[in-house]
Amino acid sequence: MIKVSQLLKTVPTADGDLDILRGINLEIAEGTSAAIVGASGSGKSTLLGLLAGMDVASGGEITLDGHRLSQLDEDQRARLRAEKIGFVFQSFQLLPALTARENVMLPLELSGKKQADDIADRLLEQVGLSDRLDHYPTTLSGGEQQRVAIARAFARQPKILFADEPTGNLDTRTGERVIDLLFQLNASEGTTLVLVTHDDRLARRCDVRFGMDAGELCILNA
Amino acid sequence: MRALIWKFLVRDWRGGELSILLMALVLAVSVVVGISGFVSRLQGALLSESARFLAADAVIVSRTEVPEEWIEEATSVGLQVSASLGFPSMAVADIERMALVSVKAVSAGYPLKGNLQWSVDPYGTVQSDGAIPVPGEVWLAPRLFALLEVASGETITVGERPLVIAGAVRGEPDATTAVFGFGPRLLMHVDDIPSTGVVQPGSRVEYRLLLGGSADALEIFLEWLKPKLGQGQRVDSVATSQPRIGDTLDRAQGFLLLAGSLAVVLATAAILLASRRFGERHTQYVAILKSLGAQSYEISRLYGSCLFVIGTVSTLLGCILGWAIQGGFIWALGSLLPATPGPAGWEPVVMGVVTALVCLFFFAWPPLSRLADASPLHVLRAEVDVARMQRVQDLLLGGAAIIGLMWWYSGSLTVTFSVLAGLLLVTVLGVIVGRTLLAGGHSIGGFAGSIWRVALSGLQRRRRSNSLQMVIFGVAIMLMLMLTVVRSSLISQWQAQLPPDVPNHFLLNLAPEEREQLQDFFTQRAVQTERLYPMTRGRIMEVNGAALPRWEEAESETAPRQREANFTWSDVQPAGNELIAGEWWPQDAVEPWVSVEEEFARDIGASLGDQLTVRIGADSFTVTVRNIRRVDWQSMRPNFFMVFPRSVLAAYPGMYMTSFLLTPDRKNLLNDLVRELPTVTIIELDMVIAETRAVVDQVARALELVLAVILLAGALVLVAGVQSSLDGRLKEAALLRALGARRELLLGTLWIEFLVLGGLAGGLAGVGAEAATYALQTRVFDMVWTPTPLMWWLGPVIGAAVIGCLGVWSCRHVVRTPPVVLLREV
Repeated sequence: MIKVSQLLKTVPTADGDLDILRGINLEIAEGTSAAIVGASGSGKSTLLGLLAGMDVASGGEITLDGHRLSQLDEDQRARLRAEKIGFVFQSFQLLPALTARENVMLPLELSGKKQADDIADRLLEQVGLSDRLDHYPTTLSGGEQQRVAIARAFARQPKILFADEPTGNLDTRTGERVIDLLFQLNASEGTTLVLVTHDDRLARRCDVRFGMDAGELCILNA
Repeated sequence: MRALIWKFLVRDWRGGELSILLMALVLAVSVVVGISGFVSRLQGALLSESARFLAADAVIVSRTEVPEEWIEEATSVGLQVSASLGFPSMAVADIERMALVSVKAVSAGYPLKGNLQWSVDPYGTVQSDGAIPVPGEVWLAPRLFALLEVASGETITVGERPLVIAGAVRGEPDATTAVFGFGPRLLMHVDDIPSTGVVQPGSRVEYRLLLGGSADALEIFLEWLKPKLGQGQRVDSVATSQPRIGDTLDRAQGFLLLAGSLAVVLATAAILLASRRFGERHTQYVAILKSLGAQSYEISRLYGSCLFVIGTVSTLLGCILGWAIQGGFIWALGSLLPATPGPAGWEPVVMGVVTALVCLFFFAWPPLSRLADASPLHVLRAEVDVARMQRVQDLLLGGAAIIGLMWWYSGSLTVTFSVLAGLLLVTVLGVIVGRTLLAGGHSIGGFAGSIWRVALSGLQRRRRSNSLQMVIFGVAIMLMLMLTVVRSSLISQWQAQLPPDVPNHFLLNLAPEEREQLQDFFTQRAVQTERLYPMTRGRIMEVNGAALPRWEEAESETAPRQREANFTWSDVQPAGNELIAGEWWPQDAVEPWVSVEEEFARDIGASLGDQLTVRIGADSFTVTVRNIRRVDWQSMRPNFFMVFPRSVLAAYPGMYMTSFLLTPDRKNLLNDLVRELPTVTIIELDMVIAETRAVVDQVARALELVLAVILLAGALVLVAGVQSSLDGRLKEAALLRALGARRELLLGTLWIEFLVLGGLAGGLAGVGAEAATYALQTRVFDMVWTPTPLMWWLGPVIGAAVIGCLGVWSCRHVVRTPPVVLLREV
């Protein structure tokens, strides 16, 4: 499902070029879950951004469900995201002007799906927020906001779900509940899950664990 | 996609994002429509006011009777016509009681513009019912009743025709055009003229054909008439017949147009700020949409469609609101307006729509179009660089569009570039101040207390947005200061031209032996007079020995020719006359010198040092041009084209003239004066001056109104400016509160930040306003520029006070709301 070979990411700085990713190779099979762990600044989020096609690599290749990202332009990568990818962010990234239901409807509306409101209602019910449909993000707790974000991520039934520190902004108990939900939905939808975290307990629930250190990746278990 | 656009619009509106941009656009359009509508209606009012001074839209003035063919042609193109004629004559009550009067005979329809005021008795109740004297009757100036010792109902004779006195003339709309009507007014019907027998071939009569109607019809007729005008025939408009009023109206119009074009600049400043804020606030929004798979073209389409809808709605709302604003102004200020306001026409609406289009394309669209370039990576890392919202090329393009709009609106490149010079100065200085002072704020703050340190480092951190904000504040304050200064100097200049003690009567034909008697007369009655000027009529025949052609033989209208003029002598330079070349002669000079007025010198083709051959009566002599003078012909003091040393002119017999001031309640003194000195001629200018003063007052009031509207628009821009920077400040203030900052610290830093920004902006504004005012006063309003030091300190003070108060008021809830609520909100 995901194949990465010799991936490089270099950014220019005042002191010369800085290598953030140094020849990453990885493979993640369809329907499995993978965790990328590492300290802050090790390059995890950069890798995630590249995997999701939100950034362009300096070298190497990423193949996503058979699509070579280096051969796609920004808009083609966006279409790929619309068709196959879901996202859960550390800071939730809900639109404050939209209600919980409207936030979940947004990706469906972007791809022109009909009955977006029914799908959104069903998903919000699945994440236990059927009584919060018309609430705005500022009136929801952190855990609730992340559950809305998860509902939004699954709205288009993505083949791959990327999660960037999904519990990073939540307390342990709420975090656990959110993770349960994530894995539950992942299992029921048959999605490939890639998550970036420095939470070891969360990483241990994944099928594969990769360790990231100073721009280099190693397999921690298989 | 269409459904999504509507949902997007509705959701965004609910979120308050769109309303900011919409309101700025509505503000822009309504200010432009409102001001231009108000200005064009005021212009209409001033135009009809000026027509009132002619009693018509235009007047044909002729020394011979106006041909019947002209009247037929004027009528055929749809113009109203009314004929009148004026001449000096004697009105006789009986052999003992007669007076030189200025006869005006009018026909049905007179006046075509304005009102003729009359009363049955000399000082009775004034009526303005459209009546004119019927054939067989006359109306007399109130003073004539006393002079001739007559009353209404009695009979006087003009020439051979006895006429019944039916009333007193109390006000003529075109009194100002009859400056040299000698003697008090006698108004009669034109049908009675043949029976008086006083108008004979060769008589000194001025025929006037008043024309009234649409500007188009008038233009067609005047075009037809132009080649037919012969010698002694001309067409008068306000500008030609009443230079002072024409000049006042011209300058007022210039001011109004300037004000209108400033409205455009202010409006675009509001749009610039609002769309920038809209774009900034939507960067994250777009990043999320892109992370969800939205493509660039979809983002562009989404925002483009939104802008289209916002543009349409705001243009409609702006036009309606603008229309209401000008209607409201006219309604609220109806009694203060100079005259009935004219229709506004469609131009203000067109102006508003074009302004909206320019604002949308050049100011609102660039930051929104750039949203499509926002990186989806922004959702992962907030620090990822956002595409710069406004690029230099956008601002340059927008600037060019604004120049175009200002030019179109003001109709003057000079006005446009004068304002532009000030704007450029403010911008350049703003950038320099932003780069140096604001950037250095942190290090200055390092030496100061904690409040100052926080405030100055805040200014430094936000220096890019602060610089822009400072420039926009500076521009708004500059425009307001500039308009205030131009308005004040225009009004004070008008008032200075007609001070309360300006002489309002001229006395001519005083024999040298009567001088003492006149002076006694005035001294006894405490009448304020100018000095007596000797006056001799003469003609310039040659310049440097070359004979000048006669008037009618001159090659062209501008070629040198003979001129006849009143000469005077004086040992000292006449008051109010400015020497532009040469020097004045010493006391008791005996050399054959002459001082020539500059335009007169141009007419005869003379310059400094030239020899002029002058003829007085049968004598000719030669004089040298010693100096050239500039004369203020509007000064209401005796002014002369040619002034000689006493020794040169003393040998030639002449009469004397002077001017003096008489208040309306002392008008009857004139009767005593003409009884005591029956040969003198008195020209009464009191009505002319009163009318001119009334126009100046009314125009000044109109300027005040427009200034008030512009100040309001400027204030709105300042509010928009403060609002545009709120997000960052609120976020920071919320964090500081969460970290335990005291209310005093927060309030203190807010005060300092806004006071510094406002003070700097005000300082820039003072400099820019001075530069623009210099350009406007010297190049547009034809005034003398004097620096306004008041602006230099008033700018920073006003800037600091207004921006400080507005800023702190806008952020007030930061210090009142619990930090946790604030953090959630931001």
